[in-house]
Amino acid sequence: MLTEYSSLITLIALTAILAFSFYAVLIAGQLSLAQVGLASLAAFTSSLVVPAEPLFGFIPPLLIGIVFGMCVGIIAAFILGLPVIRLRGVFLAIATLAFGEMVRIFLINQSWTNGAQGMSFAKLVGIEIAWIALAVVAFWFWRLSGSRMGRAFAAIREDELAATTMGIDVPRYRMASFVIAGAVAGLYGVLLAYFSRFADPNEFSFTAAVDGLVTAVVGGVTFFVGPVLGSIFLSVLPEVQRVVGIDAGWIRPTISGVLLLVVILFLPGGLSGLIPRRRSAKRLIVDPSERPDLPALPAPGTELVRLQGLGKSYGGVHAVRSVDLTVAAGEVLGLIGPNGAGKTTLVNMVTALTTPSTGRGTVLGIPLNDSTRAHRLAQAGVARTFQQIKLFNRLSALENVLVGGYRITHDTLLRRLVFLPSARRFEREAVAMASAQLIRVGLGDKAANAAGDLSYGDQRRLEIARALASHPSMLVLDEPAAGMNHVEAGRLSELIRSLAADGIAVLVIEHNVRMMLATCDRIMVLNFGEVIASGTPADIARDPKVLEAYLGSSGSDADADAAAALAAEDLAEATARSVGEHERGVSASGDGANESDDTQPEGDR
Amino acid sequence: MQLFLDGIFLGSIYALFAIGFTLVFGILDRLNLAHAAVFTAGALVGIEIVTRLGVPIWLLIPMVLVLGAVLGILIERIAFRPLAGRHDAHFAGLISSIAFGAIVLSVLQAMYGADTRRFPADIFPRTRVEILGATVSLLQVVILIVSVSLMIVLTWLVAKSKLGRGMRTIAENPHAAAVLGLNVGRISSTTFALSSALGAVAGVLFTLNVNAASLGIGHAVELKALAVIVVGGMGSLPGALIGGLILGVAEVLAVNYIGSSWRDMVAFGLLFLILILRPQGLFGARKTREV
Repeated sequence: MLTEYSSLITLIALTAILAFSFYAVLIAGQLSLAQVGLASLAAFTSSLVVPAEPLFGFIPPLLIGIVFGMCVGIIAAFILGLPVIRLRGVFLAIATLAFGEMVRIFLINQSWTNGAQGMSFAKLVGIEIAWIALAVVAFWFWRLSGSRMGRAFAAIREDELAATTMGIDVPRYRMASFVIAGAVAGLYGVLLAYFSRFADPNEFSFTAAVDGLVTAVVGGVTFFVGPVLGSIFLSVLPEVQRVVGIDAGWIRPTISGVLLLVVILFLPGGLSGLIPRRRSAKRLIVDPSERPDLPALPAPGTELVRLQGLGKSYGGVHAVRSVDLTVAAGEVLGLIGPNGAGKTTLVNMVTALTTPSTGRGTVLGIPLNDSTRAHRLAQAGVARTFQQIKLFNRLSALENVLVGGYRITHDTLLRRLVFLPSARRFEREAVAMASAQLIRVGLGDKAANAAGDLSYGDQRRLEIARALASHPSMLVLDEPAAGMNHVEAGRLSELIRSLAADGIAVLVIEHNVRMMLATCDRIMVLNFGEVIASGTPADIARDPKVLEAYLGSSGSDADADAAAALAAEDLAEATARSVGEHERGVSASGDGANESDDTQPEGDR
Repeated sequence: MQLFLDGIFLGSIYALFAIGFTLVFGILDRLNLAHAAVFTAGALVGIEIVTRLGVPIWLLIPMVLVLGAVLGILIERIAFRPLAGRHDAHFAGLISSIAFGAIVLSVLQAMYGADTRRFPADIFPRTRVEILGATVSLLQVVILIVSVSLMIVLTWLVAKSKLGRGMRTIAENPHAAAVLGLNVGRISSTTFALSSALGAVAGVLFTLNVNAASLGIGHAVELKALAVIVVGGMGSLPGALIGGLILGVAEVLAVNYIGSSWRDMVAFGLLFLILILRPQGLFGARKTREV
């Protein structure tokens, strides 16, 4: 039995290793088809260095081949990655496919590979070595999946931009996944050549790349056993058909094709999605003693942000013109203004997602210019939320917040590989920190829910929790109350005040003027990219220019005058009330002034 | 001149294949890897029709167009529509279209076996004409005329007709298109039908040109078509035409001056360079990200 099927069983292991090579890039959301090209390079070049006899009498030739092949895979993947790493999706797939084909054509035209006639290799790989190699590779990916690096890969797969603002250096991690995949591909190439004893460059073709990809996808890329399952499924299938007596050449590919179609259409998570499993890090850790020791925030009043004449123009359109602004630790600065006033552009510049066209700015000591990268600012302590919610939708709420803690947690991959107790301690600290943030925003009971399934208001709160998990010195909130009713907005207002009391500088954009008047220490009003007013909430509510910006050109006719006067009264009244509530520590509630325009004179936002 | 013309003829077939490919990508943002199987099906079934029924070539083309269209609708219904709304639809579509292509190929294998097949020798008069000092066969001229006119018709359809407006609306924003009352499902089907019809005819023309068809011909062309649509700009119809012609000419020149063993390096080298230097292609527009 075992001898009859030994070559099939060995091939299952080898195919699974190839599938792991695809898995390594797919978990970071990249589709690379270069894997068989890298394997081919590794296999043929290794033949140049593998000795016939053990080196120094004790180092087996195959080991030399494996190490050399993995190094070739790593180096080639790195060199390939340098130009292609910025490509996305289909473009990356096509570029890497082109690379694979170029390798094939290059090797075919070399004399030392015997070209298309192929090359003989010694038989060094059997069933045991193949499965040991697979076990090592699978172990690596198992330990990777719960580490900080594994979470960073998942975050990049779900939303690159959000991952960047968590402090994750996206290009570096993408390159890391590329290089890991290259090493595994190199391993596969060497093992395959020394197993099948013969290889010609044409075997490492586009079709082989597609087969590897199909194996990885059929197995599923959300769980580390996926590639093994995919390999077993696709390798055993033809064998089963042979055994049950299906011999016609065309029936086997038909059945394989239909099954592949069924798996991809009806099993979104691949075969590994069928395995019931405990989702990692589902349970909250509420014991405060498990939380990590955090560095102190800057002393209240320390200036964290200073902008001088900062502006941004797109073509001839000035989204933001010459804004001067400072933000100090422990204060809440509000940014209001009509739609299109340039608020989001301004905070994008402050968080380095947008490069300013003019002026100067410093955020936490880092100057804003062409070379400022958003993840550097995030690592310095700037966290943010987005106007259009950017959560990692397929990860649980807790996992989202764990990614948010990237900045203050340690990478645990190496520790996890050797099961150091500190790995477990660090993981518990990270979960404790994340749990505290979830509970703080009121989502403690929804930790295990997928972020994409939460209600709109909960998603907004989850984004705040994720931002807080990085223990930021400065928090930027872009319309955090959108989609919340006034009770929820009131709670949010309290939360923002308590964050400021902790010493965090909060920069908040919001259309809910009532809430802003109650929450902010200072408010800046933007219109058409310019600051038209700046001051305490009470000053802003009485500023005629602000009213004009919100209500259009007042004074042109009697109706507009009347509307302006009414709105001014409303605003002033709301201020008086909410300032009072603010002082008593109760947030504003009830209906009243509306901020955005005069077509909806009442109602809540 | 001879080389240049040969390149143009070859390139026009690449372009015809690629234009169907890029049509689906440009409008539905899906890469349909079953396109190669449709190409092969067009070639093999075309040979069968001519051999069995003895239909002349001018009647064969419309018949193959219909065959391609039917296959296209099947691809859309079976391999792509069930994935609508899935977060990984983009990616799963690649795999499901690979699976569908494999099924089509295995059915072809069941019908015609794995051997190389040819059109009957007398299907087309072997007239040769001299143009600008180069010798070209009538067949090559017909291939060029058929492929260019099909591409012109397609471009006109997309640019001017009501269907084309619907397609472009969906390309811009499928949700908004559905809200506006467009039948997104039907337009998607039509897009696939058009795309596959062109792919099937490309298979016939390619087979006429080299006079041999086997199960594997689709793969080589598919890889080159990927190069063509990237060089021309993903989703750009004129880009696919120009890209096809560039590749055809470049390949013929490469065979002549460098050697046939390095021929395919040209396509992939060109593809790689374009992706690095100008990822949006020669005629593509760069999409900007939104925050």
